[in-house]
Order: sequence, then C-alpha cells, then structure tokens
Amino acid sequence: MMNESPKNNLQEIWQCQPVEGIKMSVEEIHGRATKFEKKIWWRNFREYAAGAIAIVVLGFSFASSHDVLSRTAFALLIAGMAYVFYQLHRQGQAKNVPAAMGLEYSLHFYRNELERQRDLAASVWTWYLGPFVPGLLISMIAAMLHATHLRHVAAVAFWYALIAAFFIFAWRLNVRAARCLQRMIDDLQAAESSQ
Amino acid sequence: MSEAGAKAAVRSAQDELYQEAAGTYGPALERLAHAYEADPDIRRDLLQEIHIALWRSFASFDGRCSLRTWIYRVAHNAATSHVIRQRRAKGQGLIGLEEMENLPDATSGQETADRNQALARLMELIQRLKPLDRQVILSYLEGLDAASIGEITGLSARYVSTKIYRIKEILTRRFNAGGRHDE
Repeated sequence: MMNESPKNNLQEIWQCQPVEGIKMSVEEIHGRATKFEKKIWWRNFREYAAGAIAIVVLGFSFASSHDVLSRTAFALLIAGMAYVFYQLHRQGQAKNVPAAMGLEYSLHFYRNELERQRDLAASVWTWYLGPFVPGLLISMIAAMLHATHLRHVAAVAFWYALIAAFFIFAWRLNVRAARCLQRMIDDLQAAESSQ
Repeated sequence: MSEAGAKAAVRSAQDELYQEAAGTYGPALERLAHAYEADPDIRRDLLQEIHIALWRSFASFDGRCSLRTWIYRVAHNAATSHVIRQRRAKGQGLIGLEEMENLPDATSGQETADRNQALARLMELIQRLKPLDRQVILSYLEGLDAASIGEITGLSARYVSTKIYRIKEILTRRFNAGGRHDE
C-alpha cells in the first residue's frame, strides 16, 4: 500500500529498518491528550502567577515610596510588566500546535512558523524590552536625584549602564535571529517560486 | 442528536481513524520520528507528540485529501515544529540538499556493504537536512511518488520530481555501491 514504485536498495534498507513497534491504545491517547492539556494549563498558570507576583512586588514598592518620581517609575514598570505578560500570553496561545494541522501543506506550515518567530524576534523591542524603558528611565532619574554624593551617582550610573547593556545585547541577539529566520524564509520562497 | 451525543460521535470517529492510522502507519511514523530526532528519549516524546497531534487532528478530518496525505502532513508538521524548537535550543545549523552533496564523508569511495552501516549513514545525513528537503527525502524513501509528496508538502509534482532526481543522484554517489541503490 505504501509503495507506488519498485523499491530500490536504499528504500528497502529504509523501510526494513528495525522499529520498536511502539503502540498506543485509544485510552492511552485520551489520557496523554488530557495530560498534555493539563500541562498547557499549568504552563499558563505559572506564567500568570509569575506576572502577578512581579506586579504585587512592584505594587508594594509603589505603595511604600513617597516621592512622585519613584511612584511614577513603579507605576510605569507595573504597566510595562502587565503589557509584556499580556503579549507572552497571546504568543503562548499562538504557539500551541493547531488541531487541524492536517489541513495545511507542510511547506506553508513551516513558512508560517518561521514567519511567526521572525516577527517576534524582529519586534522584541516593542513587545518585550521597550515597555520597561520609561519606568527604568524615571527610576534612574529618581535614584540619581536621591543620591547624596558622587559615589552614589556613579553606582547608580553603573547599574543602569549594565541594564542598558543587557537590553542592547538581547535586542541585537534577536535582530540576528530574525535575519537568520528571514534567510530560511527566502529559501522557502525561492523553492515556491521556482515551481 | 444532543450536543453530547454529537460530541461522542465525533470522538468515536476520531478514535476509529486514529486506530486505523496507527495500525497502518505506525512503523512509518516511527521511522519519521527517527529521522527528525537522534536522541532516543526525546524521540519517544516526539513520537508520542505526533500520535497525539494525529488523534487531535482527526476531529477535523473531512476527507478532502486521502488519509495517508493527512497523516503525513500532520506528522511532518508536528516534527517540523519540534525541529524548530530544538534548533533554537541547540543553535545547530541545518543544510540543504545542495550542501549535503558537498559534505565530507569519511567512507566516501568505499563500498557500503553493511546494511546497518548504510542505514546509520543515511539517518545521519537526513537528520542534518532542512525540514523541506527532509520531508521530500523521507517521503521518497517511504516509497511515495512525486504527486503524493506534492500533496503533502504543497510543492508541485514537477518540482518534487526534480528534487527526487537530485536526491537519487546524491545518494547513489554518496553510497557509491556500484549502482546497487538505484536499480
């Protein structure tokens, strides 16, 4: 049934290779599918819990600080954090393997996956890094204003420079990944257009 | 029919299709998983993932394509997702057919008399290929014709035929068994 042309030697070697003969009963599949759905539920739950904890900690800092600048910084950080977690939640939903993947040609499925990842990597600044910038900038200014002498100013500048370096590093890494994914998409498009 | 009854009917059809698919294509799915994942433990997980994806997919199987085409599409799509995830985690590069031709081969020029050795070398080559080339080569090794491979991948039969011709050429050259592999 599987063979539509006479087998050549490599096809024979391939098809006659020993397999473990792993079999799953329908009951087992039901059980594993339920387990898989639970796993996704727990993954989402952990993400929401982490987001909630981070927001509570920042909220506590917001409530306990007395000057306007620090409060503004914490409020902006909370807003940034909430936005990032909302985006992670949206992407997590898109990341789940669709049930009707048999409807999609494998070429299109592969290209769509690559395009989704490219878009995420290329826009990392807008959905992951950028939302924290206003809060971090204001918090840096607040920390500078509170610094009593030059050594404190230098320490604040050092820590915020480290954060900035991390942001730039993460951004450049993602830009590189987006370029690499784009090359793979171009290869696929070349295959499609050469048909 | 009540909503619960309709759901039960869909589930029962889903189960029947799954049983048929697993019974007929179980070994082919195992070979496919092997071609996408070298690590035996991760491979078992991948195979399980493919089986679950298949079972879930049968809820929307409407007979627009053959059962075989559907099964291979789901299996390749699930395995491709796995390759993309693993590739990002391990940061490994994949190659195309053209680059496969130029890969250095320690045993090149020698007769590959031993079937196990030939299979191991073939598997190693396939595991390094980009998903689309891998899908074509695997389908060819499973004995599918160009039109069927086109239905799975979305590539035209003509394009697939050209690819298969190249694959045969490369494999014959790399396995250098005096034309035994492409009789």
